[in-house]
Amino acid sequence: MTAPARKPLRLHPALSAAIIALCLAAIVYMVSFAIPLKLAGQAYLIVIILLAFRYWPPMIRMVKSMSVPHRIVFGVLIGSMIMGHYTLNGRTYFPFVTWEIFPFVHENNPVTCREFIATTEDGAKVRLLVEQLFPSVVQIDPADAFDNPRWYPPGTTEKVARVLAKAYNEQHPGNPVWRVDLMELAVQLHPPAGESRPLPSCELLKRYDISSGQ
Amino acid sequence: MRASETLRHLIGPIELIHEHAGPRLLRLARLGIFALWIIKLLLDPLWRLAELPREMRHPIGILNLLPAGAQDWLFTSTGLIALLASTLLVLALGLTDRAFAIVATIAAVQLTVYSSVIRTFGPAVHTDIVLLLAVYALTGFAWADWIALKFGDKKSLQASSSYPLITIIAMLLLSYCMVGINRTVAGGINVFTGDSMEAWCIDASMRGYYFNTNIGWHIPEWPWVVFMLRSGLPVITVFEILAPLCLAAPHFRWIFMPVMLSFHLLSLVFMNIFFFDDILLYLLLIDWSRRFPALRAATIYSASPAPTPCASVSSTSVLASEPTNRRSF
Repeated sequence: MTAPARKPLRLHPALSAAIIALCLAAIVYMVSFAIPLKLAGQAYLIVIILLAFRYWPPMIRMVKSMSVPHRIVFGVLIGSMIMGHYTLNGRTYFPFVTWEIFPFVHENNPVTCREFIATTEDGAKVRLLVEQLFPSVVQIDPADAFDNPRWYPPGTTEKVARVLAKAYNEQHPGNPVWRVDLMELAVQLHPPAGESRPLPSCELLKRYDISSGQ
Repeated sequence: MRASETLRHLIGPIELIHEHAGPRLLRLARLGIFALWIIKLLLDPLWRLAELPREMRHPIGILNLLPAGAQDWLFTSTGLIALLASTLLVLALGLTDRAFAIVATIAAVQLTVYSSVIRTFGPAVHTDIVLLLAVYALTGFAWADWIALKFGDKKSLQASSSYPLITIIAMLLLSYCMVGINRTVAGGINVFTGDSMEAWCIDASMRGYYFNTNIGWHIPEWPWVVFMLRSGLPVITVFEILAPLCLAAPHFRWIFMPVMLSFHLLSLVFMNIFFFDDILLYLLLIDWSRRFPALRAATIYSASPAPTPCASVSSTSVLASEPTNRRSF
């Protein structure tokens, strides 16, 4: 008996495409040491993915079946998303934004953060968060940005503290805030083994007397 | 060959999602997307933004086209209530499906203004952007349908229910893909090998957002969580880059969804960040029309022979009567 002929190993095209994309990602990373190359690298990978779909029969069938207006809508939406990503500008062309989440190394150790901590009439401490007192706001800039003259005029931090206290007091008239502290919280990335803190370490930066302003 | 067959079995069929979607599924998707926006707006006390200091405002997108006086009026309680009420009214009209193209166009503009307003006080965060783009897709394709009908190209209309659904899913997956590619290419290997992920979690946790679990900043005290974050980030990034495969590979979709859902839930627990809009859009990652015949199109654009006796259209036609179950490359 003769051994059956071995069929050549044929990888599924989807798997092949995934392997190629990952290999290219590795190559692109190795040459991405400058911003133009980083952009080119991203563009290259996006083009690879688009090409994979460009030659995929079901996608060809779908696009061929579309009328010209349908094709225009499809192309404009996908194209705008990709173009928006490469503007490197998250604000001007909203909602066609730059899609970057955790895109760089966070090098601060300890990790610090400024917060408004209020003291109520009965002595309790409460965090005043813009996103909770004004739920429409998805996210504000970090509080230390309010002291950056490039972004905000002088006195913005105090105005924000007073607005937050006012908003809190409207919701808690029985136990209002009378003082707001701007604190800097810090957490060590590598604490001593076995250390456990109930709260991050805090440092007082500024104090705002709210009761006098009411 | 056995290994190859096993591999093929694992990879499963390759087929375009929503290829067979009919008008009922599109209608359900429209209802879902508009209803989700209505719920979001009903829960939003938008008028309170008028209390925030003017100095905090950095208008984005379409708001920059408004003159300063109009912007100032928009950020009064009256202006914000007017925006909220009119947007809710238009969205409610969108649920009725009457004059949908016109209503959806107004809704798209209103929602763009609304989404810009809520980002005026901070960065242009990514939450609900795909949901907004979904409204754009529904609007654009509604006009394309109208033009096709008006100018006699009825061929594409018969399959047009699938186009917006495929486009919405493509945009959702493309957003993941670009995030992953950006992190890989721009961030570099140090994002994956160092302690960046812990630092990001601590930073987000200390800042606190609307959801405030107050857990994330404890991460350095828990080595197993540090391990999970460090090993999880490259895995999630691979899934993000490969996200467009969900358009084609049902088996991959069923892995993608739990993996990314767990990622989003962990983001909520450790970072106070929750993309619930994207999670609800995952419902469109299920190819409902393959499971429920009532949601299928009467005709689709495939040239493949139909598996059921009801096929009556010539196989040479661009349009076929029923979906085939499986397609390959």
